[in-house]
Amino acid sequence: MDLLCLGLNHRTAPVDVRERFAVGNTKLGEASNELVRLAEATEAVVISTCNRTEFYLAADGARAAFERIEIRLAQKIQVDSSVAAHFYRKEKADAARHLCRVVSGLDSMMLGETEIFGQVKQAYASAHEAGATGAILNKVFQRAFGVGKKVRTETSIQEGSTSVGNVAVDLAEKIFGHLKDSEVMILGAGEMSRITAQSLVSRGAKSIFVANRSFDRAQELATEMGGSAVLFEDWQKVLERVDVVISSTGAPHAIVLRADVEKARRARKYRPLFFIDIAVPRDIDPAVGEIEEVYLYDIDTLEQLAEEARGRRQLQIEQCERIIELELEKLNLPGT
Amino acid sequence: MDRWFLIAATLLAVVGGILGMISVHRSKRNRLTVAWMIGALLCQIGFLAVRGESRAACPLHDRGEILAFLAWSLTLFYLLVGPAYRISLLGVFTAPVVVIFQALALIPGTLTANPMKIAGGNPWHETHSAMSVLAYGALALAAVAGVMFLVLDRQLKEHHLKSGLFRNLPPVRELLISLERLLWLGGGLLTIGIVAGFLMPHTSSAWGHLIAAVAVWAGYIVLLVVKQVRGLTGRRLSLSAVVLFVLSLAVFAFV
Repeated sequence: MDLLCLGLNHRTAPVDVRERFAVGNTKLGEASNELVRLAEATEAVVISTCNRTEFYLAADGARAAFERIEIRLAQKIQVDSSVAAHFYRKEKADAARHLCRVVSGLDSMMLGETEIFGQVKQAYASAHEAGATGAILNKVFQRAFGVGKKVRTETSIQEGSTSVGNVAVDLAEKIFGHLKDSEVMILGAGEMSRITAQSLVSRGAKSIFVANRSFDRAQELATEMGGSAVLFEDWQKVLERVDVVISSTGAPHAIVLRADVEKARRARKYRPLFFIDIAVPRDIDPAVGEIEEVYLYDIDTLEQLAEEARGRRQLQIEQCERIIELELEKLNLPGT
Repeated sequence: MDRWFLIAATLLAVVGGILGMISVHRSKRNRLTVAWMIGALLCQIGFLAVRGESRAACPLHDRGEILAFLAWSLTLFYLLVGPAYRISLLGVFTAPVVVIFQALALIPGTLTANPMKIAGGNPWHETHSAMSVLAYGALALAAVAGVMFLVLDRQLKEHHLKSGLFRNLPPVRELLISLERLLWLGGGLLTIGIVAGFLMPHTSSAWGHLIAAVAVWAGYIVLLVVKQVRGLTGRRLSLSAVVLFVLSLAVFAFV
C-alpha cells in the first residue's frame, strides 16, 4: 500500500481551475469518503484551501490510482481532460515530504504562514471523524504535524519583510507601535506610494492625506485609500499633524528640505516623524535625517534591508528543508 | 539573616539579567526574567522586613538600607509597569541597576551590622524617607526606559536593524509614553516626600539635604513642564531622565 498525493495549487492552476475543485470545510469528511470510493483506495484525506486542493490516499498501484481519480474527478466536476495538466502527482516519500512542506508553510503563497497548519489539521480531523483514514494516513499526518511544529519552533521562517513596502511598514510599527493612532501623508501619487500606503492602511493607519501636483490624481488616490486629498502647496501644513510621510514624486530635485521640517517641529511638539523616500532622484534632502526626532529611510536603504531579509529567509528555507529531511529519515513512515 | 536575603536577591537579579541578555542576543524573549525578578522582590521584602523589625521603623537609616529600599522600589515598579513594555526586556535593563544598588549596599560598612531601634520616630520623617525612595524607584525606571529609547533611537537613526536587541525593543512611541508616565509618577511621589520633609522636625544640618532634594525635585518638574508645554524630542527627554537620575544619586551620596 502506497502513500499518494494528487493536487493543484496557486503555482500550478489559476483561480478559475482551483475554484472548481474547492471543497467547503463542512464537506471535507464526506469528500474524503467519496475519494476512497472514487480511487478504490483504502484511506483518503481531502485538503482544500483558497490556494490548494490536495488529495492524499493510501492505495495500491500509484499510476492506476492517479488515473482513476483524474478520470472520475473530471467526470464528476464536468471538466475536460486538459485539467490534468494542472495536477501534480507525488508518491511515497515524495508525498510525505510534500505534506510536511505544506504543513510547515513552505509551499504557501505567503512563505511560512501559520494558517495552513490549522487548515490541514481540520481537513485531517474531518476525514478521521468520517472514518476515511486508517493506519497509514493517521501516522503520516500525525508525524507531519510534529514536523511542522518543529520547523516553526526551530526556525524563524516567518520573520523579516522581503519587500520594500513591508520593510517600511515594519519600521513604522517599530516607531509608532500600533498604527491606529498614526496619520500618513503621501507626497506624489505614484504606484510605489500607493502600495506602501495601502500596507500602512491594512495595518490600521488612522488617516491618509494625499498631496500631488495634479489634484485630480490626488483625489483619485485619496478616494481609493479612504483618505483626503490636499493641495500640493499645503503639504507643509499637513506635516504638522502626520507621523509618517511617504514621498515618491517625479521631481528632479529634493522637495522636502531641512528648513521645511524645522518649521513644523514646534507645532508637532517634537514628536517622532518617519520619512520614507522611495523616489529616484530623492525627494527628501538627506539633511532632514539629521533632525533629532526624524527617522529617514530612502529607497536604497529599504531595498538593502529587504535584500538582507531575503538572504536570511533563504537560509531559513534551507534549514527547514534539512529539518524535514532529517525527520522523514527518522520516522520510517508507512506507505513511503 | 538580613544580609542573606539581600545576597539572595542580588543573585536572583544577576541570573535573571544574564538569562534575559542571552535570550535577547538570540533574538528570543525570555519570559522567565519576570519570575527571577519576582524572586528577587520577595528576598528584598524579606530583607526590609527583618531590618524594619530591628529598627522598629521604616528601614531607611543607613546608606545600605536606602540602597536596598531603592532596589526594592525599582523592582516593584518594574513589575507593576512592566506589562506596558515587553516585560522581559525591561527586566534585562532593570536587573543590572538592581544588582549595582544591592552590591553597593553589601559592601562592608554600608549596612549597619547591628541596627539599633529608632526611638521617638516621627511620622513626617518616615513619610519623607519612604516617599522619596519610592519616587527614586520610579525615576530610576524612567532612566532605564530612557536608556532603552536611546539605544533604539541610535539603531533606527543609523539603520542598524539586525540585532536581536532591536527586534526585542518596544516601539519608540510606547517607550516615550511609559517614560513620561514614570516621570509623572516619580515627580508626584517626590513632591509628597519634599512636603513631608518640610513638615518633619529637622536640625540645621538637614537643610543641605533638603535644599538638594528641592533642587532635584525642581529639575524633574521643569523637565515635565517643558515636555508638557513646549514639547521635547525623545532623545532630550531620555537624556534628561538619565542625567537627572544620575545627578540626584550623586547629590544624595555626598549631601
